[in-house]
Amino acid sequence: MDDNAELQSFRRQWREEVARRTKQPVTAQPQVPKLSSTAQPLVPPARHEASDRKEEEEEEDEEEEEEEEGGERASEEPRASDHGDVVQQVGQLSLEPKDDDAFLMKGIKKEPSSALEHFETAVQKEAEGNLGDSLTHYRKAYRLDSAVEKTYRNKHFAHSWKPKPQPQPAEVSLPPAIQKDEGEKEFLPTPELIASFAHLPVPQAEPLIENTPPPPCPISNIPSEVLVLILKHVAMMDPASYCRLSLVCKRFAYHFAHEQHIWKRICQGAEFGFKGMHYSFGCDVLGNPTYTLGPQYTPFPSDRSVQIPSPMDTWSQVFQTLPRIRFTGVYISTVNYTRAGAASSFHSISWGAPIHIVTYYRYLRFYPDGSVISLLTTTEPLEVVPYFTRENAQAARAVAGHRHHHHHHHGHNRHPSDPGASLSGLTDPVPPAAMAALKYTLRGRWHLTPPSPPDDRPDAEQSATDCPPAPGKSASVSASTDPRDLVIETEGVDPKYIYTMHLSLRSSTTPKSHHPRLSAPNTSKNTKLAWKGFWSYNKLTDDWAEFGLRNDKTFVFRRVRGWGME
Amino acid sequence: MSSGTPSSTITLTSSDGVDVTVERQVAERSVLIKNMLEDLGDSGEAIPVPNVNEAVLKKVIEWCTHHKLDPPSAGDDDDSRRKTTDIDEWDQKFMQVDQEMLFEIILAANYLDIKALLDVGCKTVANMIKGKSPEEIRKTFNIQNDFTPEEEDQIRRENEWAEDR
Repeated sequence: MDDNAELQSFRRQWREEVARRTKQPVTAQPQVPKLSSTAQPLVPPARHEASDRKEEEEEEDEEEEEEEEGGERASEEPRASDHGDVVQQVGQLSLEPKDDDAFLMKGIKKEPSSALEHFETAVQKEAEGNLGDSLTHYRKAYRLDSAVEKTYRNKHFAHSWKPKPQPQPAEVSLPPAIQKDEGEKEFLPTPELIASFAHLPVPQAEPLIENTPPPPCPISNIPSEVLVLILKHVAMMDPASYCRLSLVCKRFAYHFAHEQHIWKRICQGAEFGFKGMHYSFGCDVLGNPTYTLGPQYTPFPSDRSVQIPSPMDTWSQVFQTLPRIRFTGVYISTVNYTRAGAASSFHSISWGAPIHIVTYYRYLRFYPDGSVISLLTTTEPLEVVPYFTRENAQAARAVAGHRHHHHHHHGHNRHPSDPGASLSGLTDPVPPAAMAALKYTLRGRWHLTPPSPPDDRPDAEQSATDCPPAPGKSASVSASTDPRDLVIETEGVDPKYIYTMHLSLRSSTTPKSHHPRLSAPNTSKNTKLAWKGFWSYNKLTDDWAEFGLRNDKTFVFRRVRGWGME
Repeated sequence: MSSGTPSSTITLTSSDGVDVTVERQVAERSVLIKNMLEDLGDSGEAIPVPNVNEAVLKKVIEWCTHHKLDPPSAGDDDDSRRKTTDIDEWDQKFMQVDQEMLFEIILAANYLDIKALLDVGCKTVANMIKGKSPEEIRKTFNIQNDFTPEEEDQIRRENEWAEDR
């Protein structure tokens, strides 16, 4: 891992420079946890296998971030340390709470000028995973104002640390707090708490002006069965909105937890549920539909009585826990690697040899019909994600006069309901930068591994490329029955190739709760895609070649407003 | 179905005592009224609708008149799934009323047992909820936050998985 060494030396230099300018050492820089690998045990250089390396590294990163932040943030509850992922942590602090708006913020961005603005931009860039730009902005910020970090923390974290001045680990500072709180009201475990909400009325807002009638609140007058029907429609439109609804008032929170028939319906549905999952390929590599006679395997068919799989008790658990591909956003793998630049003769050897941080992205967007689009580019998420649709990719390819001529233009006829760019709130044409990136989009198809090998699985439909004979891997790959495993096949940059990606769904590591009374956050499951292998198959010569994944990182899911909800 | 004349009319009396004459076929969009007519026969007397006032009753009749030729709703929503979240254009316009009227229509549809109208009303409300933050939802419907900050945090932790962040 020379990358790490380089990063460390780079970081050291940066710190020295900052220290020199401020004449007071900067001791903590929690905003750049990704770079603070000093504490990280060196990963043995032998680990090149994508499969195990990725996860462990991620976890180490997360552990470490948590430790770093634990000290300062132990007392600021709601979100920061809840998410294992630094991207989301910082993203939530700096962006709108509604994550799916993040990609639409482009219009209101302006060039940073003050130190604080540079710092904020840097944090945001870091959240997006673009460490190169992030560093540039951090440097500018520190040059303009050596105390910018303090300013930043005052602005963004004041609410959390001011009322509770001891930023100590929870165990030390909490006992008095507990006693005080318990004096006020007793603490209930979450299920009991929610159960206590049953039959509460939907509370009406108070009048804006005293002694005037309160604003009308007709929703508080409707009977339970109608309320539940409304909740069901919200849930079927968008489970995330259903979640937000549960935070409106106690009554809604009660229904969210107890209307299991709603969760069952979502599980059985194709929009978000398991009817939309494919356990064998649902189309050809270019996304054209294939027709098979036998019924496709689905774990919870809606025409038969279905049972909750054994370790689970509720349909909401099923929906949360079972491996599931999301259609409501994009999976992004952000890759940063460093490349030593040529040392300039103006600098001494120990100081100032340039190191380039290269950032590129892999994007994957899945469709319920079994197709997927895949893009490898240096273009940033904000510029490309809002336009990352099959239709735009096809248009970009057509404009570029791509040398592959595929006569079966499939997009338009088959997917009249696809939102394209318009439903994501963007009616403006696709900008040139996005078009330039999108023309390299590869079409493909995906399937999950069935939870248990079903008898009626049409093995004849299995592609030859399903089980690449990669040395040392074939055994585990072909024998895989891990239901989290995902197979993707895409066209290659040259038509004679087919690319095969083996990924596996993973969850963010749940951070430990620093608060003895609070349960650990109940985070989304299976929203990451860890690499297991990546091959190219030459159709002409029947050869397999393995792609190295030395720098490649786990994909992380991000919602995009309007996707998958037509 | 004693009379057998599809164009016959019946009279409904609203909760505020106003008689409204309506085609029988239209009135039979309401399962409640349909069953009542079948059970009691058409005596020609006005049928009281005690839970629905004139303004709302007229609105409901307007909807039933527009939809009088619709095929009876095909049971549950499970199969025609793409359709379940759609509201047709006429219904969208029809539902452009103030919130009190919207919920009055929903209540009337529930009472009169007009499933399709109840669905349209609930979907309209669901659309008003979709994509909003909890605070925006509270503002939209004038709901007060009855959580303590601790409870709110606890529920947020419990449910946040559904956000798919």
